[in-house]
Amino acid sequence: MASLAAAQVQEVRSITRIERIGAHSHIRGLGLDDALEPRAISQGMVGQKMARKAAGVILQMIREGKIAGRAVLLAGQPGTGKTAIAMGLAQALGPDTPFTSMAGSEIYSLEMSKTEALTQAIRKSIGIRIKEESEIIEGEVVEVVVERAAGGGGARSGRLTLKTSDMETNYDMGAKMIDSLLKEKVQAGDVITIDKATGKINKLGRSFARARDYDATGQQARFVQCPEGELQKRKEVVHTVTLHEVDVINSRTHGFLALFSGDTGEIKSEIREQINGKVAEWREEGKAEMIPGVLFIDEAHMLDIECFSFLNRALESETAPVVIMATNRGITRIRGTNYKSPHGIPLDLLDRMIIVPTTPYSHQELREILNIRCEEEDCQMSSDALTVLTRVATETSLRYAIQLVTTASLVARRRRAAEVSMEDVKKVYSLFLDEHRSEQFLKEYQDEFMFNDGSGVENKKYQLLD
Amino acid sequence: MDDQAKILKYLVSVEKLAEEIINDKQEIIMIDKRRNQNREALRDLTKSGQTKCWVTVGSVLIKHNVDSAKTLLETDQMQLNIDINKLRSNLKIKVNDLRDLEIQPPVPGLMLVPMSKKETQGLSSAGLIPR
Repeated sequence: MASLAAAQVQEVRSITRIERIGAHSHIRGLGLDDALEPRAISQGMVGQKMARKAAGVILQMIREGKIAGRAVLLAGQPGTGKTAIAMGLAQALGPDTPFTSMAGSEIYSLEMSKTEALTQAIRKSIGIRIKEESEIIEGEVVEVVVERAAGGGGARSGRLTLKTSDMETNYDMGAKMIDSLLKEKVQAGDVITIDKATGKINKLGRSFARARDYDATGQQARFVQCPEGELQKRKEVVHTVTLHEVDVINSRTHGFLALFSGDTGEIKSEIREQINGKVAEWREEGKAEMIPGVLFIDEAHMLDIECFSFLNRALESETAPVVIMATNRGITRIRGTNYKSPHGIPLDLLDRMIIVPTTPYSHQELREILNIRCEEEDCQMSSDALTVLTRVATETSLRYAIQLVTTASLVARRRRAAEVSMEDVKKVYSLFLDEHRSEQFLKEYQDEFMFNDGSGVENKKYQLLD
Repeated sequence: MDDQAKILKYLVSVEKLAEEIINDKQEIIMIDKRRNQNREALRDLTKSGQTKCWVTVGSVLIKHNVDSAKTLLETDQMQLNIDINKLRSNLKIKVNDLRDLEIQPPVPGLMLVPMSKKETQGLSSAGLIPR
């Protein structure tokens, strides 16, 4: 009997969501205090104080709606936290503001032209807020009395008594209402809502006060508190939709399926005009509010000259979101031309942008970041190992050191140790090469690789020129 | 001392507004109670089939015929509905004012005019809003 009971306990398993730990999943916000001053280590962000402070100012301007249609550029060497600051900004803005994140090369697709991809991305970052309202009766059922008229099959009449914590009343019900009540299997002690306009009955659960009525309840049993206040409430629900969703739904018959599959194709400009007109009409009537959000374009140097010209124009429209770009290139050729320009972005667009520079991290900051990543990836590290790892990060790059964290923890787990030691770090350092050592290796043995044309590859380092 | 007076004034205004909001909510509950009682009375009158009924006004009992009693109740209902709608819209303004005083952002979408029934149906059948 005991083993049977034990087997039953095994059956109860909680289904946990598999959480993917990404490169920036430890960022929870910008880590600023109330005066918008950045704290040294907060919410997953470390150091980089000037850039974070600038991001805080931009955050305030976005919240107050003063920066719509402006562009911001985060520029700095690789591995200095540009994407991290954008992630922090997204978290700090909250779920209310639409935040679209894309990489520069995503606009090159066979299905649609570059300008169409950019227009869709821009319209994904503009939201409209609408409200729907309904009068509902919400209360706990005290009793349901249904009388069948004499003679069987005659008209039924019924009485429903509802109460809240402040009041109680009874309602006479007609045949249709009785039918829906019986269909929903409403009993005394259930908390229900009845929509006045449609007559739909919705069961919210059972009242806590009646939890002891039965000794055992099914798995679906939900207990809610007895509602308080008036019985006949006005329920208001606020929805936020993005302009892109509205476009897609209007552009073809089964538009909502296209939203899920992502296969939206080109959307005609007449449809967009109509939608803009309708939204403007709603805004005038006060039925809708426009929420300009943020469009984050990472690797902005991959956009070409046509996209930049398009962006110049698109930012001028009155319903434009805030565009935040990030790039780590120095003076490079603009794609689509033969001209060189800072960051690979033409000067006229650069002129419209607010540029936020990021600087490389100091030794102490690197140590803190690696500590945070160790916590995020659930790996215990001894302080010696952390020191070695920090040295590796200073000499090679931050990203390489972060890669070593998970690999070292796996090696440590294989030898059944609780925490990662210096030897584990040294071992993975020798197993996995970083960019510099890989290059050295290649220089020595390039003759023995396939398709080698014998000429040496110049070492292009993407440094920013002061 | 000046700072103290200012702080006191600020606290007084915040508490006053909060008190008003709580009072309004209680009033809405009272009005809804009366509404429901009126409704029950109307139901009973229509079902009973009597010609005369007793109406209590304050502490005085007056005999009425059922039709005039019904019209009385119905006008009362309409007035109560108007009162409750007024209270609810004022409540929204007061809640936003309180949030302004407490330096919190206003509740999003509180001041929006709601969509009509047809528009809501259209939007939910298109799949834009959940239903």
